[in-house]
Amino acid sequence: MSLEVVLQSIFSAAFIATVIRVATPLILPAMGGLLSDLGGVINIALEGIMLAAAFTGVIVSGFAPQWFPGAPAWSYPWLGALAGVLVGMAMGWLIAFFHLELKTDIILTGLAMNILASGATVFLMFSFTGDKGSTSTLASARLPSLQIPFVNNVPVLGTLLNGENGTGYNIMSYLAFVLVVVIWIFLYRTPAGVHLRATGEMPDAAQSVGIDIRRVRYQALVASGFCAALGGLYLSMGYLSIFQANMTAGRGFIALAVIFLGNRHPIGALIAALIFGTASALGTRLGTMAIPPQIVEMIPPAVTIAALIIYNIRRRARINAAARRFQEQATS
Amino acid sequence: MRGMAKFVEPVRILAVVLIALAIGFVITALVSKEPAQAYTALLTGPLPRISFENGFAIKNINRFGNWLEESTTLILLGLAVSIVFRARQFSLGAEGQMLLGALMTAVIALKLSLPFPAHMLLALAAAMIIGFLWGLIPGLLKAYLSVDEIVSTLMLNVIALQLFDLLLFNWLRDPAAGFVGTAPFPASAVLPLLIPGTRVSLMTILMLIAVVVAWFLMARTPFGFELKMLGANRKFAEYGGVNTKRVIALSMAVSGILAGLAGAHLSMGLLKRLTINLSPGLGFEGIVVALLARNDPRWVLLAGLFYGYLRTGAQIMERSSDVTREVVLIIQAIIILLITAERLFPFVQQWVQLRRSRGEAVVEAG
Repeated sequence: MSLEVVLQSIFSAAFIATVIRVATPLILPAMGGLLSDLGGVINIALEGIMLAAAFTGVIVSGFAPQWFPGAPAWSYPWLGALAGVLVGMAMGWLIAFFHLELKTDIILTGLAMNILASGATVFLMFSFTGDKGSTSTLASARLPSLQIPFVNNVPVLGTLLNGENGTGYNIMSYLAFVLVVVIWIFLYRTPAGVHLRATGEMPDAAQSVGIDIRRVRYQALVASGFCAALGGLYLSMGYLSIFQANMTAGRGFIALAVIFLGNRHPIGALIAALIFGTASALGTRLGTMAIPPQIVEMIPPAVTIAALIIYNIRRRARINAAARRFQEQATS
Repeated sequence: MRGMAKFVEPVRILAVVLIALAIGFVITALVSKEPAQAYTALLTGPLPRISFENGFAIKNINRFGNWLEESTTLILLGLAVSIVFRARQFSLGAEGQMLLGALMTAVIALKLSLPFPAHMLLALAAAMIIGFLWGLIPGLLKAYLSVDEIVSTLMLNVIALQLFDLLLFNWLRDPAAGFVGTAPFPASAVLPLLIPGTRVSLMTILMLIAVVVAWFLMARTPFGFELKMLGANRKFAEYGGVNTKRVIALSMAVSGILAGLAGAHLSMGLLKRLTINLSPGLGFEGIVVALLARNDPRWVLLAGLFYGYLRTGAQIMERSSDVTREVVLIIQAIIILLITAERLFPFVQQWVQLRRSRGEAVVEAG
């Protein structure tokens, strides 16, 4: 188990394929969290929304033959995904309703949603399948993978573009990357994106120029529910094909960190998610060698904290410099 | 008017709890074949039964014990959350502090051999110190570098969990055990039992002391006053001469002491060893307790007993009916949602008025 072996396994196409698979359920919720965060309404419930959507997708696709007898078999995963996305959006809307209409604290509302999701999924899983651990007895559907044709015979490219087995990445992985681009365009190239950022940065100013900040925030939270739901669906209908109790395992919280580590920018968040994905994939690889995987898994959260520290030190220096300039101007 | 407000708040909280329990019952009724029995088990399960059949005897003392054990942990966590919430710091680090507290007790218990009280006290002290330090980190980061405490505490929770697993797998694990866990702690590092037939230990007394100390700290010391001022308005507190940086850092660190103790209760009182997946999510359960108690340590005692009762009842319900204990998490979420909804009752009032005026309009039109 020399260093050479480690390096070889890391700088391989197969490793990159693993990173993409592990990062997908971080990119998707991070994009959702980014939208609501930039709108000035932090969504702590990404974790719970992922969990609820993951569960809904499995249950609806698994029971689709009974519930929708007329539907063709190919539609089962899509029915599940549709239901999961609707649940995610509904949860986003609920957070907005409680925060904006009933004036709850948005952080506590988000935490309540997480608790609700972790309780309700196990509770309902038991009443649907009689099992509290997982839905392994239920034959649920998987969302399709997309295989890029003709490249499988090319040595490195085949693995890179279609994964180790050559079967291609799950459709959600593609969607994750597409979403990053779409959200970047939305935020920086459309009026609605400007309105969203203005709402988050300076709500009073935004309102004074006629932006309906309440509506923008409703939309931002529903959209964040949509994105987080996609991440959850990937976990239970792509990465695995069952639902397990608390299968999100903190990914929704890591997605929050990804937003901050990525400097609240979609491309930055994408890179941050890939860093987390790399550490996670590395942890599993190194687990077979002498280095405990836990140490590798500690790196991304530590990097996040370090990044936050550096960000704030730089911001403070900037503010101080501006203050000094102002004073010099005032005295001269 | 002030007397009125004092009266309204407890009534509002009580109403929220009753509404949440009622919604819980509706949900239970939807999935259960025997909802009434299930809910009876939930609501009366933890009570000991007094039997006069063969002379006077108390039955189900273990269930009563479960209630006290559960409440002890929850009250410690509720106190931890109350302190940070009082200062309006959204530290979510109790989970990690609790894990590390339990971890430290295992290190002391298994790697040192000392006589009885010293060994136990050292383990308790270690749990409190690590909790303090693990809380001090996000506190200092927030106070001096304005690092958002939500993200930093969540990340520190991840690091704590990895540290826990790292030491457990590589150093503390008992290879002879059939599961991932340590050997049982030596008797010198286990909390002395208080009620035979249960696991109610010395920690329940320490918890009561903690309630008094936390109350004294928050209500009768300058630190408590500064905490309250900071929570009310940071700029105003600063203007009033409060060293807000120190108070922010200390609030999170002191909160960590209590979370560390909660961890020590799990390892030294309940399990008497360390196991993997110690108690995922338990660290967040202090939040509902603190909210029910409006961050007042005296009410934390009551709220913790109530929520501990509900959790114990849920376990009994799960064993004796077709409803899983997770229904209590749903009830908890509803409580948090409704209790933080400042405008809930005005909103309902408005809605009812709107309906009524519409109804009248219809009547007039007809």
